[in-house]
Amino acid sequence: MQRTERKLLTGGEVPQLDRPLTIIGKQQPRIDGVAKVTGGSMYAGDLELKPGMLYMKILRSPFAHAKIKRIDSTKAEAIPGIHAIIHKGKFPDWKMYFYLIPQKVFPDNVTWVGEEVAAVAAESIDLANKAIEMIEVEYEQKPHVLGIDEALAPGAPIIPTLDEVEVENVRAPSFPPVGNIFEGKPEVLKRGDPDKGFSEADVIYEDTYTVQFQYHAPLQTRVAIADWDGNKLTVQESCQGLWMVREDMMKSLNLTEDQIRLIVKYQGGGFGSKGGAQRYLHFISRLAMLTGKPVRFEQTRPEEFVSHPHRWSSKMWLKTGMKRDGTLTAMEGKFLANCGTGGTYGNQKDQMILTPWKLYECPNVALEQYGIYTNAQLTGYMRGVMVLMGNFAVESHMEKMADMLKLDPMHVRMKNYTMWGNQVKKIPYSAKNLDRCMKIVTDNIGWDRRESITESNKNKKIKRGIGMAAALDNGTGQPPFEAMADVVLSSDGTAKVVIGAVEIGGGMTTAMGMIAAEELGVSMDRVIVQYGDSEGTKYCPSTHANRMTAELGPAVQEAAYDARKKLFEFASKKMDALPDRLQSANNMIYVKDDPDRAISFDKALESLPSEGVTGTGSRIPNPSDWEFNVFSAKACEVEVDTETGQVNVLKVATAHEVGRALNPQAVESQLYGGVVMGLGFAMTEEPWIDEKTGTMLNPDLHQYRPGTILECPEIAAFTVEAEDPFFAFSAKALGNGVLIGIAPAVRAAVAHATGIWINDLPITPDKILDALYGTNKKAKDTTKSQQPFMDRPHLSSSVKAKDYIEERGE
Amino acid sequence: MIAQKVSFESNPPKKTQKIQLNVNGKTESIVVDARETLAEALRFKLKMTGTKLGCNRAECGTCTVIVDGKTVFSCSVLAVEASGSSIESIEGLAQGALLHPVQECFIEEDALQCGYCIPGMVMSCKNLLDHNLKPTEADVKQATAGNYCRCGAYPNIIRATIKAAEKIRSRL
Repeated sequence: MQRTERKLLTGGEVPQLDRPLTIIGKQQPRIDGVAKVTGGSMYAGDLELKPGMLYMKILRSPFAHAKIKRIDSTKAEAIPGIHAIIHKGKFPDWKMYFYLIPQKVFPDNVTWVGEEVAAVAAESIDLANKAIEMIEVEYEQKPHVLGIDEALAPGAPIIPTLDEVEVENVRAPSFPPVGNIFEGKPEVLKRGDPDKGFSEADVIYEDTYTVQFQYHAPLQTRVAIADWDGNKLTVQESCQGLWMVREDMMKSLNLTEDQIRLIVKYQGGGFGSKGGAQRYLHFISRLAMLTGKPVRFEQTRPEEFVSHPHRWSSKMWLKTGMKRDGTLTAMEGKFLANCGTGGTYGNQKDQMILTPWKLYECPNVALEQYGIYTNAQLTGYMRGVMVLMGNFAVESHMEKMADMLKLDPMHVRMKNYTMWGNQVKKIPYSAKNLDRCMKIVTDNIGWDRRESITESNKNKKIKRGIGMAAALDNGTGQPPFEAMADVVLSSDGTAKVVIGAVEIGGGMTTAMGMIAAEELGVSMDRVIVQYGDSEGTKYCPSTHANRMTAELGPAVQEAAYDARKKLFEFASKKMDALPDRLQSANNMIYVKDDPDRAISFDKALESLPSEGVTGTGSRIPNPSDWEFNVFSAKACEVEVDTETGQVNVLKVATAHEVGRALNPQAVESQLYGGVVMGLGFAMTEEPWIDEKTGTMLNPDLHQYRPGTILECPEIAAFTVEAEDPFFAFSAKALGNGVLIGIAPAVRAAVAHATGIWINDLPITPDKILDALYGTNKKAKDTTKSQQPFMDRPHLSSSVKAKDYIEERGE
Repeated sequence: MIAQKVSFESNPPKKTQKIQLNVNGKTESIVVDARETLAEALRFKLKMTGTKLGCNRAECGTCTVIVDGKTVFSCSVLAVEASGSSIESIEGLAQGALLHPVQECFIEEDALQCGYCIPGMVMSCKNLLDHNLKPTEADVKQATAGNYCRCGAYPNIIRATIKAAEKIRSRL
């Protein structure tokens, strides 16, 4: 039983390999490469459609906030070919789990345009669409709010969130909202005495930054096929992780773990949005169980935009005090996230204030993070999560202060550099190489050209600029996720890596194969990776949040080590040497002190029992006397056309600390991808949500505008490698943090070129023109700071921040 | 001008139609719905699911195929319009286990991540090389401007395509 095994999980030490590496660090083609370039990769939506399969369609709310007064599906149900319809009238109290957070499936009030009101299973998509039209719903419209300011304004309508309070669940809110504020309180981080710090400062500067919602827009829209045989539910899915989704479904459908089989062989992009069970998955599963037939659902592109949890937007106020030499003396901030109507744990603990808390050394810090409920769809995890948002505020602020003090922005960053992961308890990072990252990117972009560029910009219409930013991202390897893996050696000469993981494109399965091959001392062609099926594999994290290489890697390594040890027991008899004196590499097993005494791997495998040998591994939990974060730096060069406001990014340099790049080419690809997505966030991607109706007006790729190849600049990608003994072959996290820091670097470069500081993302031509010629004085004014928006009386009366202050580590 | 009311009485529109498609050199005779797109016909009638659907409105490019030498979004061509045409799709590129140079180079240059855009992307690049064996970076960008890759493999795609052109040239 999986559950029991999870509790017994401890993990073991794997000794260092006492030989040079043969596979790790060398370029390996992806194990799924051929299938993907030939069209042979069968994604969930490509699977053979079973006879008798039904198609699901969803009736979605046309209103941003409304009470459902009456819903009647009898006319729709009378249409021949309609097999089942589910809605609030039929399942009034159905509670489902979404990323392990309890939510009502069909709440009394719909709270965003696009919320699911009913789901139909029909014999064809056309019929399902017809039935959707025939369902009668009577709504009572209510006032809605979309922005943070409106949601906090006096007399604002209270938005009934989807998230339900569940105290014993660490992922769910522990307190009900007060007003529209998540849990009715901020998340607080505090150290030292900010008042004292500000009194010591030579310069004090405060400013407000805003960032927009960002949508994942994966190329594959969500798709699944659910099949119920009367006792067991088999689901072909497009999610990012099997186990969290299965757990969500178990709770929602009241099934046991043996009753759900999830399969995700190929997956067309997730970027964080598909980690847990999506709402549609509960619907198709329920419909499959009601009808006893397989049910298929594939979202349309507009549905993909309105129905999935996109990244929070935010408004961030930051105030810092600095000495003339650039030393930070105090920092105070109020960071507000627009949580939409809920989704994946609205406030994300301290994620948005993590960067100001940890990136720079500062003795006096007070930070508050609020989650604000609105009617702006669902919000949730996306590559970079909330760290990306906080990073924009902090890095923009540091840049501005350096400018005010006439200091090199690099100098200011190095002046406040810290090796302490916890500055109060003095806990160091397991590794930190941000200084190297910053040096590499600034050298690459040509940092010493800053003054000559400024000089040559004079009297030019098209101006150039360069900028940089540093970034901190969540490390990995924390609870609550565990990881387990098996490695099976067979007498046919293969090594099978059995993992319950999903490949979302990061090259994780190839990396796991490489870890096993290296530890076993065999070539990659012998390695088979079995993945993407909850049957026959063990628990591991979803492929998200930097977890996979860092958390599953050590488990695979231990399993391979365990299998190798077992094989050496057999080999030692043949080689007349003690097992612990043996070593293996390049498909050979040899005696360490006498490498000439060697036999081939195949020879050793001959003596195995028919079922082969199985090695098992699990991850060692992180020790608490180190802090685990990963660091990166980005720099870019831009050209700003002061007549059109167009920003042309000429080049981006990105350097990441990765511990060790297992597969350097795949790492480089991740870095490229981060730049492309990061530039989208910085410059083009933005939803237009109509204020009057709450409807998203651009739920399509052309108008939402993720970066195409035409927007892709020259990219210089670097990895900074250093030992980190807590991870398999030192391989740490990468995929999540690749776009953190791009936006502030672009902003800094635009400021260098034009002298204007854009505080609200995305940096679009209209904002630049407005700042250059328009009436928007605020963006131009570099001396006066804006009024902090959280000092409004209604907030201080509804939230007593002091009551909740957690003084971390003090 | 006011549109004339059309009478269908003498010539009623047909709901379904039998068409012939030459797909990857093989002639296929299928009955399609008049509203069915080429992408749907390929995916659901001919079970050639290598061609993907990402938006169904000519935005994302995952459904790109080559019709009579032109790259087209198969989601925006009706199957009946393509009747009699010669169609190349991703399934037709490799000859058995022998990959097309574009496919080879996509793997070598790691020009793929999740792989969902790849069938369309590869077809756009293949058609570029069919017409231009000395493509510049700008040519590749132009040829794939209609193919989104959210994983952002663009730099690798440019490198892979130029490398594939070199490979093809060296084999001529």
